Amino acid sequence: MKDTTIPGKILVLATESCAYPGADAVGQAHLSYPANTYVLRVPSPVLFPEKFYLDCFDKGISAIIIMSCGVECPYEGAYDALAQRIDRVYQLMRQRGLDVRRLRLTAICTVCTRAFVKEVNAMNELIKELGPPGTEIELQDVAQSA
Amino acid sequence: MREVQIDSAQQAQAEEKRVGVYICHCGGNISDHVDVEALCARAGQAPGVAVARTHMFMCSDPGQEMIIKDLQEGKVNRVVVASCAPSLHESTFRGTLQRAGFNPYLYEHANIREQVSWVHHGRPATEKATALVAAAAAKAARLEPLEPIRMDVIRHATVIGAGVAGLQAALDLASRGIPVALIEKSPFLGGHVAKLDNIAPSNEKASELLTRLTRQVLDQPAITVHTCTRVVGFAGCVGNFTLRIKVDGEQGQDEGKKLHSMPTKTPRRGVFLPQYGVVTGSCPENPAEDSIETGAVILATGFKPYQPMFGEYGYGRHPQVVTLPEAIQALAGENGSHPVWHWHGRPIRNLAIIHCVGSRQIPGVHEAAEGAALNEYCSRTCCSASLGFANQVRENYPVTRVFEFYRDIRTYGRGQEELYQRASKNRVLFFRFEAQEPPRIESNGTGSESPLQITVKDTLTFGEEVQVAADLVVLAVGMKPNGIDDLVEMMKLPVGSDGFLLEVHPKLRPVELPNSGLLLAGTCQAPMDIGEATNAASAAAVKASGLLARGFVELDPFVAEVNLEQCTGTGACVVACPRDGALQLAEVAVNGKPFKKAQVSPAFCLGCGACVAVCPTNAINIKGWTLKQYEAMVDAIVADLAA
Amino acid sequence: MRLEAKIEVDAVVIGGGIAGLQTALDLAEQDYLVVVVEKDASVGGKMIRLSKVFPTLDCASCITTPKMAAAAHHENISILTYGDLKSLDRSSDGRLEAVVEKKPRFVDEAKCIGCRQCEYDCPILVADENQGGFSARKAIHIPFSNAIPQVATLDVDHCILCGRCEKVCPTQAVDYFQQPQTIRIHAAAAVIATGFQMTSLHDKPQYGSGEITNVIDALQMERLLAPHGPYNRVLRPSDGMEPDSIAFVQCAGSRDRSMGVPYCSRVCCMYAIKQAMLLSGALPLADITIYYMDIRAFGKNYEQFFQNAQAMGIQFVKAKVASLAAAENGAVEVCYEDQVNGGVTRTSHDLVVLSLGKIAAWNPFGTCPVEVAEDGFIRSVSPRLAATLTSMEGVFAAGAAAGPKDIVDAIAEAGAAAMKAASYLSACHRPKQARSGVSINVKPQPSRAVAMG
Repeated sequence: MKDTTIPGKILVLATESCAYPGADAVGQAHLSYPANTYVLRVPSPVLFPEKFYLDCFDKGISAIIIMSCGVECPYEGAYDALAQRIDRVYQLMRQRGLDVRRLRLTAICTVCTRAFVKEVNAMNELIKELGPPGTEIELQDVAQSA
Repeated sequence: MREVQIDSAQQAQAEEKRVGVYICHCGGNISDHVDVEALCARAGQAPGVAVARTHMFMCSDPGQEMIIKDLQEGKVNRVVVASCAPSLHESTFRGTLQRAGFNPYLYEHANIREQVSWVHHGRPATEKATALVAAAAAKAARLEPLEPIRMDVIRHATVIGAGVAGLQAALDLASRGIPVALIEKSPFLGGHVAKLDNIAPSNEKASELLTRLTRQVLDQPAITVHTCTRVVGFAGCVGNFTLRIKVDGEQGQDEGKKLHSMPTKTPRRGVFLPQYGVVTGSCPENPAEDSIETGAVILATGFKPYQPMFGEYGYGRHPQVVTLPEAIQALAGENGSHPVWHWHGRPIRNLAIIHCVGSRQIPGVHEAAEGAALNEYCSRTCCSASLGFANQVRENYPVTRVFEFYRDIRTYGRGQEELYQRASKNRVLFFRFEAQEPPRIESNGTGSESPLQITVKDTLTFGEEVQVAADLVVLAVGMKPNGIDDLVEMMKLPVGSDGFLLEVHPKLRPVELPNSGLLLAGTCQAPMDIGEATNAASAAAVKASGLLARGFVELDPFVAEVNLEQCTGTGACVVACPRDGALQLAEVAVNGKPFKKAQVSPAFCLGCGACVAVCPTNAINIKGWTLKQYEAMVDAIVADLAA
Repeated sequence: MRLEAKIEVDAVVIGGGIAGLQTALDLAEQDYLVVVVEKDASVGGKMIRLSKVFPTLDCASCITTPKMAAAAHHENISILTYGDLKSLDRSSDGRLEAVVEKKPRFVDEAKCIGCRQCEYDCPILVADENQGGFSARKAIHIPFSNAIPQVATLDVDHCILCGRCEKVCPTQAVDYFQQPQTIRIHAAAAVIATGFQMTSLHDKPQYGSGEITNVIDALQMERLLAPHGPYNRVLRPSDGMEPDSIAFVQCAGSRDRSMGVPYCSRVCCMYAIKQAMLLSGALPLADITIYYMDIRAFGKNYEQFFQNAQAMGIQFVKAKVASLAAAENGAVEVCYEDQVNGGVTRTSHDLVVLSLGKIAAWNPFGTCPVEVAEDGFIRSVSPRLAATLTSMEGVFAAGAAAGPKDIVDAIAEAGAAAMKAASYLSACHRPKQARSGVSINVKPQPSRAVAMG
C-alpha cells in the first residue's frame, strides 16, 4: 500500500476564508500537483500549539505549509500571533535537528492558483532532498549560522 | 458565582458514534479518476464507520434520501459526504441532517473533487481520497451537536450625535418601528450643516434642509431627543448595552449659555437658528444622570473644521485671512444692499481662496501642530465648497475678482464638475501650486489698495511666479475628527492613523466596528459630504435594524468553549485572546468548591482559536474545530505510514 | 412555447453586482423576501472581474465571493441569472411588476453539476471576454472559476451543434431546444443596481478608436494583473513582450465633452494608481507614467495611497493627452502638452492603458418609467438626505446605477437603498398572514440555480 514514488506527506493548513477556496480554485482550473498534499480547512492556524507541529513531524508528516490569509486575516491580531508562534516552532525544530524549511508560513488568496501549485511543488522538491523527517543531517549549526 | 456540577462517570457514558460515509461519483467527475468502489470498501473499514455507500449524485434527492433513511433507522448518527468542495454543498448536506431531525453540525465534508479527482489521477488519487475520507470520518466521530448562539436583544437603538447623519439614522430606525434615543451634547440639532448657507452643488438652503429633517425627527414619537447630553458610561454587548447619560455636562452648559445669550428670547422648539441649528428647548438648569438600555449604538459624532495654526497662510497674523466656514458665515449675513461685498467696512474687490489647508499634508513638507499628527488625507468636500462659494461671490458681486489656488481640483461627485465648469465661466482665475511651494501671503504695505499680496509659482503657466493682490484670503480648511477621546476610551473604539474611527473592513463591513452592535455613520469615519453622510447613516441604520428586527440575534456556534473539568485556571488563554471582553477568569464553584476558571463571552468571541494554542491542558477549544479533531485527522492521514 | 412563471416577493433587485448583492443581503436580513435579477450568467458584476482593489490592495475575488455566496445561500434571497429585464412598472394592483425573460442557456440549471465536461470536450474556441479577450474559452462554458451559479452556458453565436457536449454531459443537462422563459415578479419595492459600463474605445478617434493593438483599456489591464489572469504575467498584446514602459492616460472618456461625458468618473485616478503600483511589483524595472488632469484621491486613505505611489517612483505628468498613434515595433506614441516645460511633447511607450470613464449600463427608456438625469444615470430626487430615492415611488437606486462610484461608496449606498426600501415596505402594511404562504412559493423554478450557489 505504501507508495514509494512520493517522497512523504505534506500537510497544508489552509484558512477557510482565503487559502482553502484557493485550493479549490486550483481544482476548478484542473492544474495538477502531487497527490501527497493533504489540505485541512482551519478558521485560523493560530489555534495550533507548537506541539501540534512537532507531533505531526513525529507522526511522519514530512512538511507542513500554513496557507494563511496574510494581512487579509479576518481575525484581528491572529496573524501576528501566528507568526510569533511559528518562530518558536522553528526554534524547537532546530533543537530537534529538524530542518526548519519543512514548515512554511505563506499567504494564499482565493484565486492564487499558481502560487498554490508553486508552493506545493517547491515543498515536494525540498522533501525529496531532505527525506523523511528526523533523518536529515544535523543542520543545527548551518541553521544557526544562517 | 456560577455553580456547576461535574460528574465524570456521566460524561463517559456518551452515546456511541456511528459514522455514515457517503461517496459521490459526481457522474464520473470523481469516479473517472478515483476508484469509488475501492474507496467505499476502505472507508467501511475505517474506525467508527458504521455504513459506507456510494451514489451517482449525492446532492440529488435520492442521494440525500439515502442519508435520511440511514439516520432515521438509527444506523448512523454522524455523516460524512465525500464529494465536491464544501463551498458548494456543505450547507446542502447540513440541511439533509436537519430534515432527518438531526443536528446539522453532526456533519463533516470530504473534498474529493476539487482537491482530488480534478488535480490527481490514477492510484495516487484513490490513495489520497482514502486518507481524506478517513480523516473526515475521524473528525465526524468527534463531532458534537452545536446550537447557534441565540441572544435576546433590546429592540431599541441609540444614536450619538444629532448632525445630519445622526438625524437620518434615527429617522430610518424609527421608520422600522425601532425606538431610538438620539443623544446630542449641544442644545441644537443639525451639527455643522447649520453653519452652511447654500449647499454645493445643488444650492439647496441648509436651513430648509435642516428644518425639514428635524421636523420629521421631532414629530416622530419613536425618537426621544436628549440634547445637552453626554454619554458618561458604557457597558454590555450586542443587543444589551447600558449607556449612562448625563444631562447638562460642561459642554451642554457652554452651549446652553450660548442659547441664553441669544438676541431673541428662548426660541420655539423646531425653529432654525442660523449658525446654531434647530432648537429643541433650553438646557435644564440642574445636571441629571440617567441610563438607557439599548440594543445597538450608532456613532455619528461628526467632525470639526481644521483650525489653522498661527501664521499658516498668514492666519491670525492678518485679520483678512479667514477660514471658509467664517467666510460663508459672513457672506450669508450680507443683505445684498451693497453692490460690493464688504468685510469689516472694507470692500472686497479681490478674493483669494487657498485649497487643501490642513488636508493632504505630506511628511517632510508640512509641519504638524505641536502634539498633533499630520492630516495626510483629502477632506473631500472643500473643493466643491470652495467652488460653490466662489460662484456665489462672482454671481452676486460681479465686481469681486476671485482667485483659487489649488493642488488638484477634486470635483468628483454628481453635479460637482459642473460647479467647476461654472466657475471657469464665471471667470474665476485658477493657479495651481505644488505642495512643496505653497502660496505666500504677505502684507501689501499701508499705502496700497489691497492689504495682502499672494505670491505663487503657478504650474499651469509653466512655473511662472505670479503675484496677486487680495482683500480677503479664504482658507479652505479640511475636516478633523471631532474630539471624542472619552467615547473612544469608554467604548474601546478603534481609531485609524488619520484620527477617524476605523471600520472593520472598508468593503466587507464598512459601517461596522469590531465590537458587534456598534456602528458608524457619517464624518466620524472619514470626511464626507452631506449626501454621502446620510447614505452612510442609512447604511448603518439598516445594519442596526437587521440586528434588532427579530428581537434576537443568532451567532455562529464556532466560538471558544471551556472544559471546566480540565481548566486549571492559568489564565494563559485570557492573555492570548485578542478580543477585549471575550475571555476572562471567573470564580466558579465546582461541586461546591470555588475555582478560578476561564469563562467565554460568546457574543464577543470571534472563534480565532488563539486561546486554544496556549492552553496547557487543552481545556479550551473552538466548537466544531477542536484540537482533538485535528489530531485525529492527522492520525488518519498518516495511518498508512505506520502500516 | 414560452414558459411562464410567477414570483411573489417583497423586493426585486435589478443587478447582481456588488451593490445589488449588498442591497439584497441587507433586505434579506430584515426578513424580506428578495429576488435578484442578473443579466449575465453569473452574479458578481464588474468587481469579481477585478484583480485587486484600492486602497487596501486586497484581492477583489476574496471580497466579492463571500458576498456572492452569502446571497446565494440566504434563505430569503433568490437569484435569477441570465435574465433580461423586459419591463418594470406599477401593475394595476399598485404593486410593482418586473417582467424578466430568462434567456436559454441550453443547459438545464437544475441538472448541471458544474463539472465542465462539456467545456473540455467542446471543439470551439472563442475569445474570452472575461479575460479581456486575451485568452480563449469554449463555446459552452462556465464564465469564470468562481462564478455563481456554477452552471454552463452555451453560446449559440459560436456553437456548431456538433453534439459533443450533449453526449459527454453526465446528467443530460444540455438541452439544444431550451426556450426562453418569461418570469413575472411581483414586488412591493424595487432597487435598481444596474451598474456601469466603460465608455467605448471606439468613440475616441484621437486615441485610435480601439485600432492600436497596444492601447488597452483599464478592465483589460485588470485581467493582465489578476492572479488568475490570461498570461500569469503582464505581456502586451501585439507581440507578447514584457513592456518596459507603460503609460496611463487619465480622463480618457471622462470630463470630455467630445465623448458626451462631461462628468468625472470618480474611480479612474485611483484604479490607475492601483494598477501602476501592481505593475511596479510585477515589472520592477518598468517605467510607469500617469498622464492626468487632476488626481482625485478623495476617499478614505486614498490620498496616502497616491503619495505612496509617488514615493514608489511612478511618474505623474500633468497633461491632457491630445492623441495616440501606433509607432515602430509596437510602440505607442503619446502626444501631449507639457504643462511644466511647455510645448507639445511626444513620448513613446510600449503599452498604453486608457483610463476609460463610466457610463450607465442600463437605459430604462421603454422598460421602466423611472427618470434619468442628464448624465444618463438614474436621477435622485433627494440627493442630500436620501440619495437612493428615484422619481418612482417604491423604486430605489444604488451604486453606479445612480452615478459613478467606487466600491466603498457603492456598498454604503447599497445599504442605504436597502434601508429606504425596508422603510417603504414597513409603511406598506403588508398583511402578516400572507408571509408564510408567500415564502413557500418564492424560490423561482428551476430552483437549482439558487441551491447551487
